[in-house]
Amino acid sequence: MSSLDENRVRKPTKLINRIIHEPARYLIVAYLYVVESADALYLQRQTGLTWGNLSSHLSKLESVGYVQIIKEFLDKKPHTMLQLTKDGRKAFEEYRENMKQVLNKLPQV
Amino acid sequence: MNKDTDLKKLIRRTYLVFFQDGLWDIFLGLFIIGWGLSILTDLAYLVGGWFICFYFIIWGIKRWLTYPRIGYVKLGDREKKIRMGISIVLGIMVLVGIAFAIAFITDERPQWIADYFPLIFSGLLALLVGGITWSFGIYRFLFYAALIFIAGVVQQWTEIEWAYSYIGAGVVIILLGIIILIHFIQKYPKMPQEQLDELS
Repeated sequence: MSSLDENRVRKPTKLINRIIHEPARYLIVAYLYVVESADALYLQRQTGLTWGNLSSHLSKLESVGYVQIIKEFLDKKPHTMLQLTKDGRKAFEEYRENMKQVLNKLPQV
Repeated sequence: MNKDTDLKKLIRRTYLVFFQDGLWDIFLGLFIIGWGLSILTDLAYLVGGWFICFYFIIWGIKRWLTYPRIGYVKLGDREKKIRMGISIVLGIMVLVGIAFAIAFITDERPQWIADYFPLIFSGLLALLVGGITWSFGIYRFLFYAALIFIAGVVQQWTEIEWAYSYIGAGVVIILLGIIILIHFIQKYPKMPQEQLDELS
């Protein structure tokens, strides 16, 4: 059994990515996962978070390298778009997989 | 939270963003009215022009009215491919429709086309509208598809001038589109520029 598998058996919660596990951040990452990129207004409208909340969660996601900021022009005006990085996508996929495993291991009541 | 975390639902929500302002409803209504008017004025060949003209007008309005209210999103590769496929189907069906229209206004049409033209045309258009929007999960357009088909049925088996049945259907669709648009504007006020700048 590899050390990763051992971890899964003994301490499954250790495999849960706590950055993504936070509900608001999970929602942000999930919304960015299903699109190529989106701006902050789109995320704010879809998630229902306040500007302050959204801003702080985006900063956190950016600091760990899950979200990148893309500057582009829309109608000749500068426009900021947000995109999940490759690491962000991978982390989200792993998080979902790990959560499924953790939940599947819970005993039936 | 569970409801929000279903990725398929998130994808559907992304599609809904493109339709929740009611502008595509108005576009469809304008196109149907344009079709009706072009029949009334014997200018059916102009229908392609109507379509392209309304399409660009609606996109222009969207940029000015919709994006400052709900933000801007780019779809992923998979969704782009789906949209491309749908656009190809749309293009083919528009060409078929134009071919039918040309066959109808020239003398070289088969008799069955002449006999059932309103029904064939309405059926094709209803299939197109219903099929595309159903694939996106925008179910209110199924009602519009039914209206378009009914307009053809009414023309086929009643004495009503067929242009009027299309114009009537178009007016209903536009009115519903305007109601959705008003609701959208009320629900999503324009975000002050200072707030937008904070996150830019």
